[in-house]
Amino acid sequence: MVEFVFLSPFVTGVIAFFIPRHLGRPLLVFTGALHLVLSVLVWLRQPEPLFKSYFAVTPEGMLSLLVISLLFFLISIYTIGYLKVSDIKSEHIFTGSMLLFLSTMTMVTLSDHIMVMWIAIEATTLASAPLIYTHRTSVSLEATWKYVLICSVGIAMALLGSVLITISMDVGNVDAPVSFSALTAVATRLDPMWLKAGFAFILVGYGTKMGLAPMHTWLPDAHSEAPSPASALLSGVLLNCAYLGIFKTNKIMLAAGLGDFSGLILMGFGLISILAASTFILKQTEYKRLLAYSSIENMGIIAFGTGVGGLGAYGAMLCLIHHSLIKSSLFLTSGNILLGYGSRLIEKTGSLANRMPRTFVAFFGGFTAISGLPPFGIFIGELFVILGAFKAGHYISVTVLVVSLCAIFAGFANQAMRISFNMSEVTIGLTEKANLVWPQYVLLLTSLVLCFWIPDTLYQTIMSAVTSVEGGF
Amino acid sequence: MNIPVDLTLSLVLLSVLFSFGSSRLPGLIKVIAFQGVVVSIVPLIIGHDMTAGGILFTLATLMIRGIVIPFCIYFAIKKVAIRREVEPIVGYHASVLAGLGLIVAAMVVSHRFNAPSISASVLLLPTAIALLVAGMFLLMARRNAIAMVLGYIMMENGIYLVGTTFSVRALHIVEFGILLDVLAGVMIMAVILQNIKQTFDDVDTALLRTLKE
Amino acid sequence: MIQSILLWVLAMLLAPFFSAVILKVKAFFGGKKGPPLLINYYTLAKLFKKGSVYSTSTTFIFKLGPMISLGAAVTVLLFLPFAGQPPVFSFRGDLLFILYLLGLGRFFTIAAAMDTASPFEGMGAAREAYFPIICEATLFMILILFYVLTGELSLAAYFSGTQPFGMWQMAGSPMLFVVIAFFIILLAENSRVPVDDPATHLELTMIHEVMVLDHSGPDLGFIELGSFCKLFFYASIVARLIIPFESGYMALDLCLFAASLLIVYMAVGVMESVMARYRMDRVPKFLLTSFALAFFATVITLEFLK
Repeated sequence: MVEFVFLSPFVTGVIAFFIPRHLGRPLLVFTGALHLVLSVLVWLRQPEPLFKSYFAVTPEGMLSLLVISLLFFLISIYTIGYLKVSDIKSEHIFTGSMLLFLSTMTMVTLSDHIMVMWIAIEATTLASAPLIYTHRTSVSLEATWKYVLICSVGIAMALLGSVLITISMDVGNVDAPVSFSALTAVATRLDPMWLKAGFAFILVGYGTKMGLAPMHTWLPDAHSEAPSPASALLSGVLLNCAYLGIFKTNKIMLAAGLGDFSGLILMGFGLISILAASTFILKQTEYKRLLAYSSIENMGIIAFGTGVGGLGAYGAMLCLIHHSLIKSSLFLTSGNILLGYGSRLIEKTGSLANRMPRTFVAFFGGFTAISGLPPFGIFIGELFVILGAFKAGHYISVTVLVVSLCAIFAGFANQAMRISFNMSEVTIGLTEKANLVWPQYVLLLTSLVLCFWIPDTLYQTIMSAVTSVEGGF
Repeated sequence: MNIPVDLTLSLVLLSVLFSFGSSRLPGLIKVIAFQGVVVSIVPLIIGHDMTAGGILFTLATLMIRGIVIPFCIYFAIKKVAIRREVEPIVGYHASVLAGLGLIVAAMVVSHRFNAPSISASVLLLPTAIALLVAGMFLLMARRNAIAMVLGYIMMENGIYLVGTTFSVRALHIVEFGILLDVLAGVMIMAVILQNIKQTFDDVDTALLRTLKE
Repeated sequence: MIQSILLWVLAMLLAPFFSAVILKVKAFFGGKKGPPLLINYYTLAKLFKKGSVYSTSTTFIFKLGPMISLGAAVTVLLFLPFAGQPPVFSFRGDLLFILYLLGLGRFFTIAAAMDTASPFEGMGAAREAYFPIICEATLFMILILFYVLTGELSLAAYFSGTQPFGMWQMAGSPMLFVVIAFFIILLAENSRVPVDDPATHLELTMIHEVMVLDHSGPDLGFIELGSFCKLFFYASIVARLIIPFESGYMALDLCLFAASLLIVYMAVGVMESVMARYRMDRVPKFLLTSFALAFFATVITLEFLK
C-alpha cells in the first residue's frame, strides 16, 4: 500500500478546499502527522507497491520522502501560528494547495515509471502555483506567471528527454518496462546517442525546476513572493524532487557506461549555478531573495557533487538532506522577520538580536549552518564534495568552487550581520509565540544531530542510494 | 513513403507557418486548434495496430488538444477583452521567413538521426523538431502573454508527435496523465492570464518586469 | 504548326471574353444584371476608333509603353500550350525568357508612367515595381520545384499533354500549395482584388490603373488588350494545374480547358466580390504567403523525392 502515502494527502487536500478555516488548520497538521507515520512505516517495512510498473520504493526516494514528511509536519505546525497572525484571504485555497503539493511531491519520490515521474513533477508545479499567488499582489502575480511558464516549458523539455530515452530503447531493440529500475538493469543495451540526448534534455528540464543556472530565473521571484511556509516547502523539498529526476536518470547513464558524459554536464551546470548565485548574493537587498539564491548555490553544489561521483556523490547526498532541513528552517524564520518588520528589504530590518531574540537564535543558527560552518552537515557535505573533486583531479573547477563559496559566505555574512545587529527603530509587530520558533529549532537540531549520529537504518539507506550512483568511500 | 501521414504532417508544418504570420489572437488560436486536431490524428493513420483503447485515447486527445484547450484560451480572451494584437518583438515578415528557414533546418537536421520507429514517415521527425523550435520562437518573439501560452502548446504538440512513435508500447493511462497535466497547466495559465489582465489591464509581458536580480 | 498558330489567335480572341466573366460574377454578387459578356470587345472597338491625346511634356517612351506591353503579352501567349496542345514556340529555358518578357512589358509600362511626370503615376509605378519582386521570388521557387519534378525547363514540358497530371502524381499534396501560390501571383500580377482594385476611382489607392490614366484611344486599347492576354496566360496555367486530365480527343480537351478556365475566372470574380482590398502595407504579407507556400511545397517535395 505504498500508494496510500500520496493518496491520503490528496484526499484531505481536496477536502480542505471545501471546509471552513477552523477545520482546515487542524486538518493540515493531522495530515502532516499521518503522512509522517505512513512514510516511516513504508521506509521500515519496504512494502510492495500495488502498481509495480509505475511505483517503487527506492533508497533515494525514501530519503527524499522522509525529509519531505518531517519538513511538512513541522511546517504545518508553524503554518497554524503563521496563519493566525498574517492576513491571507482565501485560506482554504492555501491549505488545499499545500496538501495537494505534498501529495504530488510524495508521488515524485515513489514513482518509478519515467513518464509517471514527469507527470508527478509537472503536477508539483501546478499544485504550488496557487501558493505563490497567495498574497494577491501584482508582484506575486508576476512571480506566479514566471514560475508556471518557465517551469512548464522547462519540464516540457524533460518530457522530450523521457521520450528520447524510449526511442533509445527502440533503437537498441530493448523490450523492457519504461521504468527507471528496469532501464538501469538493461542500460548497456540502450542506444548511446539517443540516451545522451535524452539525458541532456532531462537535465535541462528538471534542472529548470531544480533551479540550476541559467534556468533559475523563476526561483528567487517565486521564493520571495510566496508566503514563508510555502517558500520553505518550495526550497526545502520541491528542489529535491526535481533533483530526484536527474539523479535517477544519471543512474541509467552510469549503468550504461556514459558516466563521464553526464558527470561533465552536471559539473558544468553546478559550477555555473554556484557562480551565478555568488554574484547575486553579494549585492542582494532582500533577505528572502538572499535565501533563494543560497538555494541555487546549494543545488549547484549538489549537482557538482553528483557529477564528480565517488566521495562527491556522498557529499551531495549529505548536502541534499541538510540543505532541506536548514533552508526550510531559515525560510520559516524569514517569515517571522517579515511579520515583525513588515518589509522584505534588508535595510528596513536590524537589531534582530535585541528585538526578536528567539527568532534571532533560529536565524543565526540557520545562517551558520547554511554557510557551511562546522559543526553542521553542510560543512561535511561540502568538504566531501571538494575532497571528491580533488581525488578525481578537477583542480580548476575545485578552485572556482572554493572561491565562489568564500564569496558567498562573505556576502551572506555581511547581510546576516546587518539584519542581526544594525541599529533599527522599527516597532516589532509580532509576539514570538512558541509554535513560531520551535519548528525551526527542531529542524536545526535534527541537522545537528545527524552530523554526529546517524541511525544505522538511515545510514544504510543513504549508502545504498549513494552506491547506486557509484559513489561512496 | 506513407501518403496520408505525410499529407497530414505537411498540414502541421503549414500551420507553423501560418501561426508565425498571424497577427491576431483569435486567428492564432484557430491555427493552434487546427494543429492540435491534425497532430492528434497522426497515430490513427500512421499504421500501428490500434486497439479499442488506443482509438478511444486518440479521440480523447483530439478532443482535448483540438477543442478543450483552444476554447479554454479563447474564453480567457473573450472574458477579459484583451487587445487582439499579438505584439511581436520579431515582425511578421521576418517571422514567416524564419519559419521557412526553420523548416529547412529541421529537414536537414533530422537526416542526421535515424531510428527505426521514426522512419515510418520522412516528415515525422522534421515536423516534430519544427514544432518544438517554433513553439520556443513564439515564446521568445511575442510579448503578448497569450501568444506565449500558445507557443507552449505548440511545443507540447511537437513532443506529442515524437511520443506517437512509441505509443505502441506506452500505456495509455500514462499518456492520458501527461495530457491531463498539460490541460491543467493551460487552465492554470488561463486563470493567471485573467488575473494579469485584471491587475495590469493588459497582457503585455513588458509590464511583468519589476522582479529582477 | 498551323494548328498551334490558330490556337494562339484563338487565345487572343478569347481573352477579352473571359475577362468579362469576372465582371458578370461580380454583378451577380452585387444583385445586378451586369454588362454583356462581349463588353470588352465593344470597349476595345470603341477605343480603337478614337484618336490619342498626348501631353506636351511626354516623349516617345510614353507612346512606346502600350505597344511594348501588348507585344510582350502577345509574345508570351506564343509559348502557352493552349489546352495542352503544343505551343507555337518552345525551347529549353523558354520559361526564363517568358518571365523576363513579362518583366520587359512591366518595365515599359512603368517607364511610360514615369514619363508623364505626374506624382500619382510615379506612386503607382513605385508600387508596381515593388510588389512583383516578391511575386518573382515565388515564381522562381515554383520553377525550381517543376524543374526538380520534370527535369525540364520549358513551359510546354510542364503543361502540355499529360504532364500536369504526372506532376500531381509525383509531388502529391504540395502541388495544392503551388496552385494556391500561383493563384495569389495571378491576383497580384494582374492587379486584381485584394492586391489592387481595377474598378477603383481613387488615385491614391491605385496601383496599375493609376499608371495608365494619361493613356487614351488606341493606346489605352493596347494596354487593355495586353492585360487581358496576360491574365489569360496566368489563368490558363492555373487551369491546367487544377484540371490536369486529358482525354486524347481534341474537341473534348478544348471543352475541358474552357471549363477549367471558366472556373479560374469565376474564382477571381468570387474573390473580388467577397474580399476587400488589402491596406497597402498588408499586401507584401499576402504576397509573402504565396512565397512561403511555394517554398514550403518545394522543400517538402524535395524531402519526398529522396
